[in-house]
Amino acid sequence: MIRFEGVHKFFGKLHVLNNVNLHVKKGEVVVVCGPSGSGKSTLIRTINQLEPINEGKLIVDGMDLSDPKVNINKLRAEVGFVFQQFNLYPHLTALKNITLAPIKIRGATKREAEEQAVALLTRVGLAEKKDAHPSQLSGGQQQRVAIARALAMKPKIMLFDEPTSALDPEMIGEVLDVMKDLAQSGMTMMVVTHEMGFAREVSHRVCFIDFGTILEEAEPAEFFKNPKHERLKQFLKQVLSPMH
Amino acid sequence: MLKYKFDWAVVLSGKYFDWLVSGVKVTIQLSAVSIALAFLLGLIIAVMRMSRVRPVRWFAHGYLEFFRNTPLLVQIFFWYFGSYKVLPEAANDWLVSTNFEFASAVIALTIYTSAFIAEDIRSGVLSIPKEQMEAARSSGFSYIRSMRYIILPQAVRITVPPLISQFLNLVKNSSLAMTIGVAELTYQARQVESYTFKGFEAFTAATAVYLAMSILITIVVTWYSKTILSPMKAR
Repeated sequence: MIRFEGVHKFFGKLHVLNNVNLHVKKGEVVVVCGPSGSGKSTLIRTINQLEPINEGKLIVDGMDLSDPKVNINKLRAEVGFVFQQFNLYPHLTALKNITLAPIKIRGATKREAEEQAVALLTRVGLAEKKDAHPSQLSGGQQQRVAIARALAMKPKIMLFDEPTSALDPEMIGEVLDVMKDLAQSGMTMMVVTHEMGFAREVSHRVCFIDFGTILEEAEPAEFFKNPKHERLKQFLKQVLSPMH
Repeated sequence: MLKYKFDWAVVLSGKYFDWLVSGVKVTIQLSAVSIALAFLLGLIIAVMRMSRVRPVRWFAHGYLEFFRNTPLLVQIFFWYFGSYKVLPEAANDWLVSTNFEFASAVIALTIYTSAFIAEDIRSGVLSIPKEQMEAARSSGFSYIRSMRYIILPQAVRITVPPLISQFLNLVKNSSLAMTIGVAELTYQARQVESYTFKGFEAFTAATAVYLAMSILITIVVTWYSKTILSPMKAR
């Protein structure tokens, strides 16, 4: 579904992605972690071209993103993206946040879109909040609506960019539960997160990235038990230590 | 003792009252059409001003600077006395057969005001976090459709107070249309004055109507933005 081949990305002189090679298969859940500034957010943002790549090849759902003829809007409709800051549309209710794109892009009728939206809100446990505006929802609730909004497009891939980092600790669980449920339904997912519990329990593979390079990539059991790279050992010590 | 004898009946009844009423109607028509068009054009120019395509951006920038920085009266005269001379004859005939004074005034008021509205809307758009655009684009909306469905609706809500003052300016500026013979309120008040020499009464009446219209617009737009457009509280 997603294939990085020798991808490079620069911000001016800064080399944010340095020869990234990664392959995410259909139905796989891949967690990306790394210290801040390592390039992990940039990595996930290249997949729906919020950040264009400078060199290499990136193929998403059979479309080559380095091809200037690729219809980026079409690709993005197939790729759900969940942001750290939720980014719900503040002028619309939860329901309308979810129905806008299906109606305007997929051409769904208002009724179809609303039925689907209510079903999705039920799935994320927020059916009773459909008429609430984002400002009336807690962070965790907003993020669950944002996930429902992304799912409403029936995406083939879901990308999560630190979905729980802006949340109060007691709200992290409710969002992770939704993501876990989604992973178990067979969705292809790529998740940038520091939630190592989620990585260990739900993911098929974990990648450790630093200085724009994937330093280690392994199944979760192996990743946490036998980290090979010195940087990863340090990193794990810090994020897993209860006293840090 | 004041020698002047007030005669309010002159402007509150009979023929002269009818003149003033017809003037009010024209002022309302002129203002309503121009506000609607200026708002639409302002939205379009604001989006063009932020376009990534350089010539489009430059055109919008030139448009803004040009129409904001020349007197409205000159623009009205230009459209009325100047523009038709460069048009083909057929178009010319058609224009003269329609209400060309009114049309010239609408064009001038629309274009002049749209330049101010565009700048207000642009500053509204710039105050929307860029993540809103990212979220819209991520859903598969094109740049223009993201603007239309997600960014502009928010920007307009933020821009309501300055928009109200642009609308009020337009209503008041519409009085300049009298100079090209549009029989709007100020024109009619002037007529009443010429026929009756009751200038105080005639222009007091006109003043009261302008004031009432302005207050009405402020109330309606504020009500609309508070009840229909909202609630969009700060995040």
